[in-house]
Amino acid sequence: MWEGMINGMMTGITTTMIPINIAMVLFGCFAGSFIGMLPGLGPITAVALLIPVTYALDPASGMVLLAGVYYGAIFGGSTCSILINAPGEAATVATSFQSADYFALMILGLTAVSAFAGHGGVLKALLMVVLGLMLSTVGTDQTSGTQRFTFGSLELLDGIEFLLLAMATFALTEALFIILNKDAASDSFNPKSIGISNLKVTKKEFKLIYPSILRSSFLGFFIGVLPGAGATLGSFMSYGMERNLAPPEEQKKFGKGSLRGLAAPETGNNAASSGSFVPLLTLGIPGSGTTAVMLGALIAYGIEPGPRMFIDRPDVFWAVIMSMYLGNVFLLILNLPLIPYFARLLAIPRNLMVPIILFFHSWASTLLPLTTSTS
Amino acid sequence: MAWEKVGALVMLLFSIAYGLLATKIPLSFLAQQETFTSRTMPYALAIMGGILSFLMLVLPTVNPSGKKTLAQETRGMEWSTAILLVAMMLVYGLTMKWLGFILASIIFLLAGFYVLGERRIQRMLFTAVLLVVGLWGIMSMLLGVYIAPGEIFYHLGIL
Repeated sequence: MWEGMINGMMTGITTTMIPINIAMVLFGCFAGSFIGMLPGLGPITAVALLIPVTYALDPASGMVLLAGVYYGAIFGGSTCSILINAPGEAATVATSFQSADYFALMILGLTAVSAFAGHGGVLKALLMVVLGLMLSTVGTDQTSGTQRFTFGSLELLDGIEFLLLAMATFALTEALFIILNKDAASDSFNPKSIGISNLKVTKKEFKLIYPSILRSSFLGFFIGVLPGAGATLGSFMSYGMERNLAPPEEQKKFGKGSLRGLAAPETGNNAASSGSFVPLLTLGIPGSGTTAVMLGALIAYGIEPGPRMFIDRPDVFWAVIMSMYLGNVFLLILNLPLIPYFARLLAIPRNLMVPIILFFHSWASTLLPLTTSTS
Repeated sequence: MAWEKVGALVMLLFSIAYGLLATKIPLSFLAQQETFTSRTMPYALAIMGGILSFLMLVLPTVNPSGKKTLAQETRGMEWSTAILLVAMMLVYGLTMKWLGFILASIIFLLAGFYVLGERRIQRMLFTAVLLVVGLWGIMSMLLGVYIAPGEIFYHLGIL
């Protein structure tokens, strides 16, 4: 087992260390940090916006780029929320699978949604599962070849593209929400008002927060692994755990600038985003909205996400994992000295930003049929 | 009416319409003799959708005081702007084949900026042209993705 894992990791390192992939990690981290830092925009939009750019790339490079964008956007979202108190994003192995196992896996994927729906949301979650299955029946029936719900349209013969659906339901709604709620993202931010004076962490501060970082890293990762949980839950649970563990006098500071209260949810957030790749890459079940969009990207590349992915496409599987190590180093190098400059980019006005986001969505949707038909 | 009840009603109507449309799925003579046909799954989904949405409609709302009504949820929202922008996205998608990526995108962006209140022509033009031409350059020249020119250019004899 260990030998296989070490071989896989070596494959991942070899694939990641190709100059184009290093460039993709760097670009992904930069673009993700930038987009994630814009108020009202989260990792889903960041990943969706970059999808058209990945069409021309090799699947491994494309996925490395999208993964970089994802954790970059999480990092950028944290920076945004810390600097201006406006959240940039919402959260801030089996090798011998038989058809019965796949069936069980499918049932798990469909029911996990309702299991994590929370009190009062089970009916709603199940109804949305049924709606999703209804939409999947559009197109040619794979068993009999009969056309279902196509209304004579040639475009509907192949059914509704998953990526289009994921972008429409997760990414486009984020953009429309900004239009509908003018107050959700203010017109622009004055970077001078942010007041960045000292960005260095002192020894005393580090000593205070490092146990919180360690605890929240583990908790966030395991929360992220749960299908349907995502980074938001990781963030909230880490914050809750840290508040419960803190002494009473420290608890009073939570929500008023406590370093532990700040470090815990942001660490949990970042760890959960990495954890959400586990169900995506091993089972083909997206752990969050962003990984659902990435699942669509994988399908568009012609890769079947699921338990066989790391046998069939070990380069993509391991490259995504190994690139995260490199990406996190890049994020530190990029973000620590560049935060003051990134913050100035927050001044992009809403009336320019929103049409650009809608343009990327429309463009990606128009390009998608072209690329998937040729792949 | 609570927001989720409206959603349940919409889903109930959708499930009924879906079920009725499922009866129109063509079946061959041989398929009609089988137990499991192309209509079976849609029928099952329509029934499940109907039952679940009906239950959501009739069962009491969980924590009703914490749930907003449709009017509360949508108060102050800029519906006209949102609908206009969505319509523009549709027009953009439909015209891209005729006008080509560069022209259609620049027009879409300029119109979008205008709808959202931007009036500085220089800033609008600079942003739209730079973004679109820059992306076209990256996609077609750097990444090698073929982006077809608009059909209008062939009709006008320019290409």
